[in-house]
Amino acid sequence: MRIMRVEKTLVSTNRIREMGHRPLLVVRDKAGGTPSVAVDAIGCIPGDWVICVGSSAAREAAGSKDFPSDLTIVGIIDQWDEEKNG
Amino acid sequence: MEIMRVKDELVCTRRVEGLKAASLRVLESQAGKLLVATDPVGAPIGKWVITTSGSAARLAMPDVKIMTDLTICGIIDNWSE
Repeated sequence: MRIMRVEKTLVSTNRIREMGHRPLLVVRDKAGGTPSVAVDAIGCIPGDWVICVGSSAAREAAGSKDFPSDLTIVGIIDQWDEEKNG
Repeated sequence: MEIMRVKDELVCTRRVEGLKAASLRVLESQAGKLLVATDPVGAPIGKWVITTSGSAARLAMPDVKIMTDLTICGIIDNWSE
């Protein structure tokens, strides 16, 4: 699992039916890192440090076994200091 | 999921049976790498899209038997990079 930071909500109205209405968030592993998109299964706000899971666990965490996600947020870290642990 | 840009359409008439009639797109990743994805959404060239990879890519297609490892899930409304 990876530690990433939530940057903002991603709006994609024209999406495949299988994705339903799950919220998508832009996440980065470090400030200047390349952005990825994760399904928000918790309800995060921009600026949260979160735990993201991949592969088949991402699908189950996002709702059902055949939900087409390969990255899902499974937890919000209570306290994380990027510089100290970076 | 990753954020990529649709660079071009890809015509590939001689293909394995497993690809069926899936429409293919050439995508450019954030790192500049060129990748080929199947496209159930019909994303036009130049648009930023969300892609999913691995076994989730097959579930994103209407027909899960299509042999893909990268599928376009949606077109991003606006993306400034």
